[in-house]
Amino acid sequence: MEVTLLLEATENAFRIIERAREHALGLLDTAVQFTAEETHYEDQKRVHALFAGAQRRKTRFQNMVGTTVIMFGFWLLLSGIFDAFHLTLGFLCSALVGVLFHDLLFSNVRVGDMRVVAGRFIAYIPWLIEQIVLANIHVASLVIRPRMPIDPKVITFKSKLETDVSFVTLANSITLTPGTITMDIKDGVYYVHALSKKVADDLNTGEMEDRVAHIFMEADHLYVQDVLDAARLYQAMRI
Amino acid sequence: MIRDSDDVIVKTLARLLMPFIVGFALYVLMHGHHSPGGGFQGGVILAAGFVLLCVSFGLQWTQRWMTRKTAELFSSIGVFIYGGIGVLCLILGGNYLDYGRLSRVLGVDVAEARSLGILGVEIGVALAVMAVMCTLFFMIFTAVDESGGQGGEQ
Repeated sequence: MEVTLLLEATENAFRIIERAREHALGLLDTAVQFTAEETHYEDQKRVHALFAGAQRRKTRFQNMVGTTVIMFGFWLLLSGIFDAFHLTLGFLCSALVGVLFHDLLFSNVRVGDMRVVAGRFIAYIPWLIEQIVLANIHVASLVIRPRMPIDPKVITFKSKLETDVSFVTLANSITLTPGTITMDIKDGVYYVHALSKKVADDLNTGEMEDRVAHIFMEADHLYVQDVLDAARLYQAMRI
Repeated sequence: MIRDSDDVIVKTLARLLMPFIVGFALYVLMHGHHSPGGGFQGGVILAAGFVLLCVSFGLQWTQRWMTRKTAELFSSIGVFIYGGIGVLCLILGGNYLDYGRLSRVLGVDVAEARSLGILGVEIGVALAVMAVMCTLFFMIFTAVDESGGQGGEQ
């Protein structure tokens, strides 16, 4: 009798210990799982930060070098003295400007495309000059007639351009062309004062806008350089 | 308090012109002994650049580069450079701002030392002028805010 009781008690004790062990194991598993998830999440965050930081540092460095180079060219253009002392001074000053104002010149431009943009911009200038000459003749012919057949009005149009630099290029091109003046840009809508029907019609055809969009590669351009940069960074991180 | 501009043309052109303004100011400053220009003119052009930033982007944004404290610090540094070079010449046995005496410290001949001394003084003048101009402009820029309650120059 006593022996059976003792055996039962032992069995019960064993069962309780077994259950407790299972319970502890379950808890441990959950804890391990949580830690793993946490670590995974932390890893992801770290990789993301690394990616963003590297990209930002790279852009910043490129901007600094670009600004310094442009400033040094500007310095050479102004200075005209090419001894070692003045060239060193010039380099120091351009580097100072580059470090201080690295995010002003290129804040909305992709550095990889800069050469293409510069080339297209230079190609745009002769066309603009031609337009200015034509508009000049037109306005002069309007003014020289005694009746002066002008028809001033304000025209508005929504632009398809995207960045502020292209907005400003279009606005200043319009202002430079005689007979039309950009009065305001509000949320991508241009308010332009036009002197006569002909200049207003010329503007409404949108050729100038298309050309400006072409300079800054907007609305129809795949940024290959970005994809290449991202691929290289991912490859470096996987190793 | 003058509000910052909300015009995309003004903002973009100010942003694009600022490095060129500062570069031109440094050129005017550094070529003061070869061509028209010098410390005062360079300093004023530098200050004009900051004024342009302030007018187009607002005070908050300009304070990334130039706060009122920095301006005050730079005005003292500029005067210190000017006076320091003068006193250094005095210590070396010459008159005040007698740059020829600097040749022993700099290790170059007298003519070169004069040129370098003038350049140093010009840099001091430019810093002081730029800082004082910026301080004046900041005071004007924020004047209405402060006098709203009290009025007057107290």
